Amino acid sequence: MKTWPMWAAGTVALAAVFHILAIFGLPYGIMDRAMAGIATQAGGVNKAVYPDRATAASRGVVRPSPDLLYTACVYDVSKQPVKLTSPVPDTYWSLSTFASNTDNFFVVNDRQVKSGRIEIILAADGNTKIEKGIPVVITPSTKGIVLFRSLVTSEEARAEIDAMRRQSNCDPL
Amino acid sequence: MKLALKLLAATVVALILGAGSALLLVRSGGLGGDVAVGPWRTSTIIGSAEADPYTRAMVAVAGLLALNRSETIYFTAARDGTGERLRTNCTYKVAGTDPPARWWSITLYASDHYLMPNPEDRYSYGGNTVAREDDGSFVIAVGPEKADGNWIPTGDGQTDDTFTLTLRLYNPEEAAARDPSGVVLPQIAKEACPS
Repeated sequence: MKTWPMWAAGTVALAAVFHILAIFGLPYGIMDRAMAGIATQAGGVNKAVYPDRATAASRGVVRPSPDLLYTACVYDVSKQPVKLTSPVPDTYWSLSTFASNTDNFFVVNDRQVKSGRIEIILAADGNTKIEKGIPVVITPSTKGIVLFRSLVTSEEARAEIDAMRRQSNCDPL
Repeated sequence: MKLALKLLAATVVALILGAGSALLLVRSGGLGGDVAVGPWRTSTIIGSAEADPYTRAMVAVAGLLALNRSETIYFTAARDGTGERLRTNCTYKVAGTDPPARWWSITLYASDHYLMPNPEDRYSYGGNTVAREDDGSFVIAVGPEKADGNWIPTGDGQTDDTFTLTLRLYNPEEAAARDPSGVVLPQIAKEACPS
């Protein structure tokens, strides 16, 4: 009896399994690499890094916007919640958080912040003790990325916006 | 022994076929796009928890850390208005009016999804930096040769490669976020290509 049809069918079935594994695993693998890069630059997790304006030499994350200044940190809420703090300018600014599968699970922009400063706590669950009055965001994964975006409205304003975004922080509670 | 070799060969072939087809699919898909406006494409589920595994994989490869559409809509064009691939040795005119958003920008990316090296160190224009016509509209020249007015260089002019343009709409108007297909976007017209 010829066995090659069985081998061919088995190979195709196995190829389908590898295909699905690759599609599901790719976002996690690429996020892991991005998190490792940010953590290395920042000197660890739950610490912010303040890269300069994106140029053609920037290789941290694909398709960066050169019109924004990015501030990033890797959050890790496996041991304790993480507090995010930042002054909020009166031009476009946003704080966004990304789970380990790339999902953007939280975003807030300058127009949604009533005062000139924001404080947010990231936590793995709702049972942890937190500071009173500070909003808590429950993270869908224990590790992920926090990204602050600050629009540079003009070259004249760059230094002021840069100084302000360097006050953005991620700190374990 | 013969069976073990056969199993190993089948596994290697399956790995190449399975993982290779997955990589090919997500790399060629750009940022995905279930919505088209002329040559511009966008996906309504980028960054969202509703994103399917293929969209997540495409975003990871070509647009990691993209925001969801209530905050930002990302339109990407890989082709001009006639459907031909954008190429670095051709010149184009991108002409339009302000899209319905608080702030917008148009940025040029090389085929590897990073900013294109160029002597001017210029990669984009935004609603706050673009020079405008008398009626408030704008025209941006895109190509290897220096142009008067707004100009985004396509590299050093020595190589012929593909590129893409991304139009970001930050804080889009509610109607635009609800239905990106109804947004009026800039035209991309090819002016010249070397023969």
